[in-house]
Amino acid sequence: MTYALPVLVFVMVALATAQALRRAAWWRQGAAAEVAWGPGLLALPRRYLVDVHHVVARDAYASRMHAVVAGGLIVATVLAGLAILPSLGGSRLYWAIVALAFGVTAAGSLLVGARRYPAKPRRLSGGRFQILPFLLLAYALGGLAGALLLALGAASTPALIAALALSGVGGLGLAYEVRRGPMRHAVAGALHLVAHPRPGRFRSRLDTALAPLDLDAARLGAETPADFTWNRLLSYDSCIQCGRCETACPAFAAGQPLNPKRLIQDLVAGMTADEPPYAGSPYPNAREVDPPAAPLARLIGPDARIHPDTLWACTTCRACVEECPMMIEHVDAIVSLRRNETMEFARPPEKAADILSDLRGAGEPGGRALSARTDFAAGLDLPVISARGEADVLLWLGEGAYDLRYGRTLRALVRLMRDAGVDFAVLGAEERDTGDLARRLGDEATYQQLARANVETLGRYRFGRIVTADPHALHALRNEYRVFGGEWTVVHHTALLLELIEAGRLKPGVLGGLSVTYHDPCYLGRYNGETEAPRKVLDLIGASRVEMARSGRRSMCCGGGGGAPISDVAGDRRIPDIRMGQAIETGAAVVAVACPTCTAMLEGVTGVRPDVKDIAELLLASMELGA
Amino acid sequence: MKIVVLLSAGAHPVSSAPVLPRLEAQALRLALALGETTGLHAGPSAAPAADALGHGLGLLTHLATREGDDPIPALVAALKAETPDLVLAGRRGQGGEETGLAPYAVAAALGVTIVADAVALAPGAAPGSLVVEQALPKGARRRLVVRLPALVTVHPGAPAPGAYAYGVARRGRVDTIWGVAGSAAEPNPIAVEERPYRPRPKLMRSAPGTGSAAERLAAATGGMASSGANVLVQPTPDEAARAILEHLRRIGVLAPAVANKPAA
Repeated sequence: MTYALPVLVFVMVALATAQALRRAAWWRQGAAAEVAWGPGLLALPRRYLVDVHHVVARDAYASRMHAVVAGGLIVATVLAGLAILPSLGGSRLYWAIVALAFGVTAAGSLLVGARRYPAKPRRLSGGRFQILPFLLLAYALGGLAGALLLALGAASTPALIAALALSGVGGLGLAYEVRRGPMRHAVAGALHLVAHPRPGRFRSRLDTALAPLDLDAARLGAETPADFTWNRLLSYDSCIQCGRCETACPAFAAGQPLNPKRLIQDLVAGMTADEPPYAGSPYPNAREVDPPAAPLARLIGPDARIHPDTLWACTTCRACVEECPMMIEHVDAIVSLRRNETMEFARPPEKAADILSDLRGAGEPGGRALSARTDFAAGLDLPVISARGEADVLLWLGEGAYDLRYGRTLRALVRLMRDAGVDFAVLGAEERDTGDLARRLGDEATYQQLARANVETLGRYRFGRIVTADPHALHALRNEYRVFGGEWTVVHHTALLLELIEAGRLKPGVLGGLSVTYHDPCYLGRYNGETEAPRKVLDLIGASRVEMARSGRRSMCCGGGGGAPISDVAGDRRIPDIRMGQAIETGAAVVAVACPTCTAMLEGVTGVRPDVKDIAELLLASMELGA
Repeated sequence: MKIVVLLSAGAHPVSSAPVLPRLEAQALRLALALGETTGLHAGPSAAPAADALGHGLGLLTHLATREGDDPIPALVAALKAETPDLVLAGRRGQGGEETGLAPYAVAAALGVTIVADAVALAPGAAPGSLVVEQALPKGARRRLVVRLPALVTVHPGAPAPGAYAYGVARRGRVDTIWGVAGSAAEPNPIAVEERPYRPRPKLMRSAPGTGSAAERLAAATGGMASSGANVLVQPTPDEAARAILEHLRRIGVLAPAVANKPAA
């Protein structure tokens, strides 16, 4: 009977392997992907223990629970399996150690159970996940009892057989779950960390640029699950349905029909069409759909698995990606699906058709004259680079320049740069839209047309670096134009202003006692990791800074990204109203912003609320007070 | 139903970049909902009209004429050979000369009925007929039943054009027919001056120069007068004639009515 437990372990491993191989056959239906296996495998321990842990540890209970139960499970299983060696299997001390490991697993199983019973938090999924603690507990308690009996030298008693039977039920149950149940996340998750589609995002680095699409590909974007690369299908399988994404998702909070967790599960379910029913929170105000029973069917449409409203509700804020402990790339999936809808089926959001057509025809989403972009600076004498050929700083104005409200911010920025003696110029009528909007709406063709034109324009002039007040333009110019041949130093205006103050070229006054809360733009904070410069500027002008509950890399979106204001999907509330509510909770008199889109969205909130002021406006106001 | 949509080389109203005129994209949407559609473009290059492929057009026939040629003879020859049931066109071009005369010239040469300013099309109850909803001034609509073949021009009030899609455009095809005989367009007898467009305030002819703001507004918008709208539904010819005469007198086209009895 000494060998019964090791044999059970080998049967479990064999069953789990068989189940994983059955699942792997599905992953292989995906498109080909280049994966650096060697570096990936070498990086696995670090990716798991550092990068994943960093995210998991935001929920301290979950982190401890997972360390105990997963650590215990792996150690206990490996040790029990090693007992097949006669020298170990015959040692009572060894069995005592195995018993200890199973004991730790049992304690972890209780932690798993305590999170789900008597009532589970709303963000966790039910269904098979509710059975998981019992399987874990059965396996651990059976193993504990068996190993204890062996440690005590009771090698063949009915008690040992009973213990092994209990352990077998739990262990084989867990192994069987590897294909379609919660334990799938363990196998798929480990492989996913090795074959991650964005290996650049580990070691606390950023890899947020969308990959360019080959416009000569046979099919543009993803229509069915098989159009995703196999390692992305693998990544969707690594989802443990913890629901952290849904608590972070602004569209979910606003009652729009988007739930990132459900979306990923829909992608998984679309693969085989025999997935167990989803048991988490649904899409809020879910639109009616009619999912086909066949595997690998079309994903988007009122007659498919995912309603178009779900797809278009996303603001591409990446909050879900930031929160996902399994490092799943939800936004990439959304954009792939959007590309297919927009370019193969001509079904962008209804109001986007004219905007995309103006972007194609006029290089500007509003169909306005490019020469009118500098109208905001009437009387400011804005130098145009074509007249000079070079400048230290090229000021990229962006779409905000057409907006009357945001024109005030840009005027403040221009005055500050002039006060500091910065040698700068603008492109004037040669500046087109960056195409960011077209790209997030799935119109990659128009985006690439604009990107190439902009890279060509910028290539004709000599400048030290680009400064922009628009984080969306910053992200495009800094990260996404690189593949089109655009390599520049791109600086956000808040970073430039901080630099000018620190160099003593700007002398800020003191806005004593003004309480300010800073709203991080997604494309600056999450996409580019810049959260400190604007805060430092606020501190230097003597504002008393208060933080909202969600700030920095984990800030909440204003609702303006990803073309969401154009899609305008109906929900219960508006995202900017929710965000402004969070700002009101801090009691601050001013919400400081650093993005034209955030400015427009937050200024659009009605009722009594804090003022919305850009960092540049606040700095200029402090200097005017000081002067 | 065999439909041909006439496509022109348009220019974006702001940037002057070559684009498909919005009206023609609207015409395409109406046509594609109705039946088998092809596009027809006569001009030196197919590029501007090829945008139509991205709006769902499967085949664009491009009649390659020389720069400066009159496109009408080439279009008429191709349409005579093709014999479509329905020809659709925008009510005027976008960029270029924008006279809006091309559809009339084509219809005259083909000898088919022309119906202007359609906002909706539907197949008629009788075979070979078409129900056209026509836009009239001030938002009025008129429903006509037209016997095919016919040429219909599309009004900006028609449903908004569908989205342009790159992938859809890839699936479309352009057939270029080279060496189409054309005649040089007659030079415009009137010297035309070109100036950039400048938005101007709308002139309100009937607005009086005096009175309170409310009175002037009411006069300008017809706020008071419009209470008795002069719409007669199926009037007798006599009534209709009287209403027209009265209107013409009021706006000063006809002399005021002469009193029946001459003054003593």
